[in-house]
Amino acid sequence: MEALFYVFSIIAVFSALMVISMKNPLTSALYLVLCFFALAGFYVLLDMQFLAAMQILVYAGAIMVLVVLIIMLLNLSKIKKIKMDLHQVFIAMVIFIILLVEITIYILNGSLKKPTGIYTHALINKIGNTQILGEFLFTKYIFPFEVASVFLLVAIIGAYLFAKKKY
Amino acid sequence: MIFWLIAEIIKILIVFAGLLMAAAYLTLLERKVAAKIQNRMGPMEAGFHGLLQPIADGIKLFFKEDIIPADADGILFILAPIIAVIPALTTFAVIPFGAPVKILGHTVPLQITDVNIGILFILALSSLGIYGVVLGGWASNSKYSLLGGIRTAAQMISYEIPLVLSIIGVIMIAGDLSLSKIVSEQSHIWFIVYQPVGFMIYLIASTAEMNRVPFDLGEAEGELVAGFHTEYSSMKFAFYFIGEYAQIVVNSAVIVTLFLGGWQGPLLPSVLWFLIKVFFVVLIYLWLRWTYPRLRYDELMDFGWKFLLPLALANIIVTGFIMILINK
Repeated sequence: MEALFYVFSIIAVFSALMVISMKNPLTSALYLVLCFFALAGFYVLLDMQFLAAMQILVYAGAIMVLVVLIIMLLNLSKIKKIKMDLHQVFIAMVIFIILLVEITIYILNGSLKKPTGIYTHALINKIGNTQILGEFLFTKYIFPFEVASVFLLVAIIGAYLFAKKKY
Repeated sequence: MIFWLIAEIIKILIVFAGLLMAAAYLTLLERKVAAKIQNRMGPMEAGFHGLLQPIADGIKLFFKEDIIPADADGILFILAPIIAVIPALTTFAVIPFGAPVKILGHTVPLQITDVNIGILFILALSSLGIYGVVLGGWASNSKYSLLGGIRTAAQMISYEIPLVLSIIGVIMIAGDLSLSKIVSEQSHIWFIVYQPVGFMIYLIASTAEMNRVPFDLGEAEGELVAGFHTEYSSMKFAFYFIGEYAQIVVNSAVIVTLFLGGWQGPLLPSVLWFLIKVFFVVLIYLWLRWTYPRLRYDELMDFGWKFLLPLALANIIVTGFIMILINK
């Protein structure tokens, strides 16, 4: 299992690096798909098959397809010059520092934690993690779940309004 | 442990060979069915009633010149047909194709692997089939290919949603995502009885997912030459074909597993029951293709978004209500 972890890590890091270093945006997008696959592999290693399947179904199968589709429609090969935008650099630096601090704090504070509460590994394997996930989503975490769905609804209506507007 | 490993490898080889053979002979079956519907004979020359025709076709494709267009994106052009085939062949890994058998005192389930999220595995892989088409269309660097690829991508995204939603009714009734559990839940009554609407939606949406007539807008011969595989030749072209026909077999097997009781049946051995059922669902797909004319593009989108999607959602709600009413 440990060997698999390193294999997935190497794939994930390599493909993530390729995403930001490739000139062709379509190649970048495809490397991002590869990165999602590696992440799905991590989920499987963590006994979270449901999340792994969702990762591939939603991210690799739906969202990235839309991204690829848009890149194909834009015909980006004609755009030769890459403009440097100082605002972008600034925002990117801020986000980078925040993420770095966050990761460092997590690594320093985090140690190997076992699942707490009544759900032990044996119990999770017996019931199946999909059922437990569903139960938690509809009981303990019902509020965030509903908020997320309302946001999605708003986004759908917004997209509809944009598409309907005649320019 | 070693027994398990050997059994597993043998199962994988059998499924792989069977799927490729089925894909090859499906081309013959399709031509024969088309011929019957159009009152012709179909291929008759190679072998008895054209039985060797798929092998002849394969040899012909193998010896054709392998052309890569000068302006094509080299790596993606080669990669695209491979990506088109892999999801189709991998999906079969979670489908149970027979009752567990006893060999040398060990119980061997006739299923390559029983993942506890079997259905989601199938859906995840079938959503990847789109990349082969889209990348092939883009990498060819030809306007017909690009148009075909874009059309197909938009169509597959639209029909994937009803496809996923149509299965949820089955999951609700079975109460499990594992395919072997779903099959054993159907020992008394097939799920098609509870879920006739879900079955119809899955049949239609999967036809659209596979780009078959009446939903083959991505390769509409009259307008796009051959769509996304216009520039392909030789074995790369054959790969697209293998992928398409393997996908038919796999989708039929999924339908059989989810709605038609899987391998369960009286008297005959379970594997035989599975094959018979798959054969009949395949015949339905072929029948659809040679009966209906192609939809127009706006009709296709309207049908997917304004009819199939609300119907699939309504199916889930009605199923839920009935399940609460009868306290299941």
